[in-house]
Amino acid sequence: MSLMSLGLVRGLIGQALGTLAGLFLVTLIRVLAGMDPIWAEEPAWVTGAVLGVIGFLIGVGALTDWAKWTVGIPTPLHHGPPVGKPAWVRYFSVDYNHKVIGIQYGVTGLLMLMIGGAFAVIFRTELSRTGLQFLSADTYNTLLSMHGWAALMAILLGIGGMANYLVPLMLGAEDMAFPRLNAFAYWLNVPSIVLLMTSLFFGWDGGWTVYPPLSVIGSVGYQFVFYSIFTLGLSSVLGSLNLIATILRMRPPGMTLFRMPIFCWAILATSMIQLTATQLIGLAFLMVSFERLLGMGFFDFEKGGTPILFQHLFWFYSHPAVYIFVLPGLGIISEILPVFARKPLFGYRWIALSSLAIALVGFLVWGHHMFTSGYAEYLRVPFMLATLLVAVPTGVKFFSWLGTIWGGRLTFPTPMLFVLGAISVFLIGGLSGPILATVASDLHLHDSYFVVGHFHATIFGGFTFPFFAAIYYWYPKITGRMYNEAMGKLHFWIMTPAFWMMSIGQMSVGVMGMRRRIADYDPALGVEFGHILVTIAGFAIAFSILIMIYNLLHSAEVGKVAGANPWRSRSPEWQIPSPVPEHSFAAPIAVVGEPYDYGLPNSTYIRMAGAAGDD
Amino acid sequence: MSAATAHAVAAAHAGHHGDHHAPAVDNYKEQLRNNRLGLWLFFISETFLFGGLLAVRFFLWGDHRPELDQFIGLLVTSVLLLSSFTMNLAEKGMEHGDMKTFSRGLLATAVLGTIFLLGVLVFEWGLFPAIYQGHLTPWDNVYGAVVFAMTGMHALHVLSGIVFIFIVWRLGRQGHYTPQRHWGVEACAIYWHFVDLVWIFFYPALYLIGTPVH
Amino acid sequence: MNEKRAAAYRLSATVALVLAVLTIIEYVAGVYWPSPVVLMLLALFKAVAVLNYFMHVSRLWTAEEEH
Ligand SMILES: [Cu+2]
Repeated sequence: MSLMSLGLVRGLIGQALGTLAGLFLVTLIRVLAGMDPIWAEEPAWVTGAVLGVIGFLIGVGALTDWAKWTVGIPTPLHHGPPVGKPAWVRYFSVDYNHKVIGIQYGVTGLLMLMIGGAFAVIFRTELSRTGLQFLSADTYNTLLSMHGWAALMAILLGIGGMANYLVPLMLGAEDMAFPRLNAFAYWLNVPSIVLLMTSLFFGWDGGWTVYPPLSVIGSVGYQFVFYSIFTLGLSSVLGSLNLIATILRMRPPGMTLFRMPIFCWAILATSMIQLTATQLIGLAFLMVSFERLLGMGFFDFEKGGTPILFQHLFWFYSHPAVYIFVLPGLGIISEILPVFARKPLFGYRWIALSSLAIALVGFLVWGHHMFTSGYAEYLRVPFMLATLLVAVPTGVKFFSWLGTIWGGRLTFPTPMLFVLGAISVFLIGGLSGPILATVASDLHLHDSYFVVGHFHATIFGGFTFPFFAAIYYWYPKITGRMYNEAMGKLHFWIMTPAFWMMSIGQMSVGVMGMRRRIADYDPALGVEFGHILVTIAGFAIAFSILIMIYNLLHSAEVGKVAGANPWRSRSPEWQIPSPVPEHSFAAPIAVVGEPYDYGLPNSTYIRMAGAAGDD
Repeated sequence: MSAATAHAVAAAHAGHHGDHHAPAVDNYKEQLRNNRLGLWLFFISETFLFGGLLAVRFFLWGDHRPELDQFIGLLVTSVLLLSSFTMNLAEKGMEHGDMKTFSRGLLATAVLGTIFLLGVLVFEWGLFPAIYQGHLTPWDNVYGAVVFAMTGMHALHVLSGIVFIFIVWRLGRQGHYTPQRHWGVEACAIYWHFVDLVWIFFYPALYLIGTPVH
Repeated sequence: MNEKRAAAYRLSATVALVLAVLTIIEYVAGVYWPSPVVLMLLALFKAVAVLNYFMHVSRLWTAEEEH
């Protein structure tokens, strides 16, 4: 078997060729038009980046079926591993099975999590002492900016992994509504990652927010970031479109919206944001790109533009994006808690609707990132009030979780530990939120490390901890084997206290005057000890994640066979064999009861046609 | 809904595991409804893109606008409107088995779409000074920048719509569609109308609202 | 069958005509009385007509015969 039979390899070659073609094309045009100089960095690299993405998609084969459709060749869906090749090949090629795509998303997400984490650990080490130790200020800025987008990519990929793998299984569906679109949306991420990593080579220093005018005058590395994120955004839009269509159209008989597993509600709300708001960050990045390319003065005072416009467009996506990041994780918490409490989920409808409420209110609060931007002052208080409103549906979720735990017969395997850890960490993030939403205190804390502490707690509590909970929880379903419980617990007991220390440390150095995004600080601030603690915590978290990776790889070989339903869950995906067969459900399912009636006698959620009694 | 879904699930499973083929009618119907929903979700997403551009226009221009050739504005708007009409005729032709109207309607739409595009490139953008001397550039000020951004993003969609039309036209001539089954035609048609829909809002925003500045 | 077809084409032409009239009103209003509210309302009318008659949005929620 040659390397070329891997779609990934063909895609990367396609991207390289596409990039070269772009460079060549622009240079050729400049020669023919007699332009001087012949080599123009910006248009050449931008064209190269765009053609590179297209080259990747052609090379990997994500466009092949559609290309055939345009000339009327039918393309029946192929099921199972590729013919005449080892089974693992399908994970590195275009495959239409949502379970394969889910794994592709998830593993790529973990990979990006480690890359993004590695950037953080490097510049974190630099910060543990005042003065510059081993990084230049520019390298520091680049690493910090890269950390931001690499981590955000990891999150979006991780969510894609959970959603793609779980939603069709939870609905008892054969697959997603649009399997080809699903694969296409996944494969957009890979050229996007390549572009982001290329930007490292040129260096860029704007932080993940890439505000103009800095991002207009900075290196050409910014262009790679813009088109990387644009591609990522396209993936978000198409992936969420697919998920919404799947949830609305592929439910089995009897499964009304309010009888879906609660995770599907979280994904529905998340996807609604992704489908719509993502367009605005794409537009904002295109506009900066074209301000650089053609001198279009959207954000240029001299031409009648203003950088504040960029901030509006950027945060119109990037605030709701926070809910994209955390809603699926909160859904995971609601999904797993009742299983290990052996009690019905408290207030199912309230949790479901609170996800929608968070998603909708989330569209009205973006201005809380701009209290110090110089926008019209009368906007401040409305944005503050709208932001504080978000605490209400979030609080609903918290009390529902407490109500679920209350009086339950709790057990504490690793997934449950991570769920409880998630709640504790999210609480830190949640409680520090209103302080930043309030104009008076935000004017003081804006751009300080307090903000860094706040959003890391939110994201770890809302995404990372639940994501790890999900990995442990569904690992036996995916691999058919159990992870190593002792190693899982070790991971938890290192990561959670370390994270608390990191969070509290970041917030306290922030309150003491440490600004975010600077390579060095004044020893007189007295924050050095805090920084040392945060750095140690950062290393501990990184180490604990390595334990998890080892656990996942090792247990796939030697873990004890898990069986179909080790957690005694009622959800459809646990009523079928582990690992899930190629065609997940041997027979159609029907929903006959409520999803979370744990501990209630004679309650049934689903029935599988043709199967022997399942209750 | 649930009964139909049950059929589809059953059909899908029979198709995979049984030797006999699942009732294709049900599958097609279900897939058609999925496709429609998917395309409309895409429109919702795109609405935010074009809505964002409109927001940019009002944010940067407020109650001013650049001096644009009113005659050209009305002309290209009418051309696009007419193209929506011919597209609708083409789709109805297909629905009623009138292949001639289908084929001619599509071609007329493509031609009108191309005229619209040329109108934008020649008159609004002034790309060919030999024919028409445009006075806006993308780089002078935000008036030019926003005009080019809005018309450019819209023109990109018109262009993709024309490509779509040619694909559908060819497939139609080869007999790939029937009055009962022609999702490709329907998709192409409503995509085209969506692009027209965007212009319905862009036209007043660019040409009519606000006092002109020089 | 032909009867139905002719009726369909007629409806198409009527909608296009209404859109054309609205566009002319829009243009005249824009030149002589450029009120943003009025212009956006006119655009909204046109949009609803296109959504309903050309894009047949109702097919999203009505189960009908194949198309
Ligand atoms: Cu925010």
